[in-house]
Amino acid sequence: MTPHTPVTADEETVLADLAGMLARLLEDEYGLDDVEIGMHTTFNRDLELESIDLVTLAGLLEERYGDRVNFAEFLAGMEFDEIIELTVGRLVEYVVTSLKAAEAS
Amino acid sequence: MAMVDTGAVRLHVQRIGPRDRPATATVVLVHGLLTDSLASYYFTVAPAFAAAGLDVVMYDLRGHGRSERPADGYTLDHNIDDLEALLDRLEVTGPVHLVGNSYGGTVAFGYAVRHPERAAGVTLIESEPATAAWAVKLGGILHRVVHQLAYNEPDAIAWITAHRSHNTARLARGAARLARETSLGRDIPASRVLTEDQIRSVRCPVLGVYGGDSDLAELAPWLESLLPDCRTVVIPGHEHSVLVEAAQAVGGHILELVRGAELAGAAEAR
Repeated sequence: MTPHTPVTADEETVLADLAGMLARLLEDEYGLDDVEIGMHTTFNRDLELESIDLVTLAGLLEERYGDRVNFAEFLAGMEFDEIIELTVGRLVEYVVTSLKAAEAS
Repeated sequence: MAMVDTGAVRLHVQRIGPRDRPATATVVLVHGLLTDSLASYYFTVAPAFAAAGLDVVMYDLRGHGRSERPADGYTLDHNIDDLEALLDRLEVTGPVHLVGNSYGGTVAFGYAVRHPERAAGVTLIESEPATAAWAVKLGGILHRVVHQLAYNEPDAIAWITAHRSHNTARLARGAARLARETSLGRDIPASRVLTEDQIRSVRCPVLGVYGGDSDLAELAPWLESLLPDCRTVVIPGHEHSVLVEAAQAVGGHILELVRGAELAGAAEAR
């Protein structure tokens, strides 16, 4: 599997999943209910999420995917600036890669 | 999300551990004031600690992160009471390795003074025990936060956005809210501080980690001279945010301290 997997149905499903989780988080924590979320949406500037929101997101990811996806490890491997620039698309790619790796093993 | 009711306050807790074996020791990670939360550990050193076989307990201090934000009760003793009650609720009874960043280290050290038998080690990251000088310094910082930020927020936020970053400005808004809505700004400088004898009474291994460009690095020799078992590390090229900026190095030093204590414990048991 190459890291640059083209957009597939899998990616669409994962994006829909993540958009649902983020919508839930934005509604619960900030009372927002009409935020558009796409592959290029950034967590920091577009969604205004704080790092503690990413901890909540990690919990939602674990609820959905179990230990097949480890968001904390994913972010722990990044530089601070990379986390600031992180897009929903990059997380979608990571989730798809992790799920495929779990399937293969 | 796990919330633990200590009886006094509801605290947000995250606990992770090794996936494939029982944990060898527990580390409790305490974050800093105002703009900080357990996220500073969750996405930095915590995954590596769990992978190294440790039971990792992280929580948000009252008023911070996802924990409850009561209007008052923000002295250092309140924070130590919260930590004590939290570990009781979690049934963590054995000695733990306490790690604190900035104010979190002051809380961790205070816990070790109160419960020497429950502290296997203490790591102070950019941090110091509560002394009279510490209280004066924190008083000055908090005075600025309350007066320049909390009650003059639009101007202060505009300045921060222009001179720092959008992200820092958002964190500052959270800090302003905490300072405005709670007694934190008054309580912390009014905290009971430690005597030199109380500081010396911490006999477990203590690790001090400082950024080379931080004012706090000057504390390293003082801490080493005062404490019976203390080592300090200064990481060049960093300031107060050394934990998040140099997480791997900081985490490595902490793991070394934990391993050292485990080996010493094993040697004693023989």
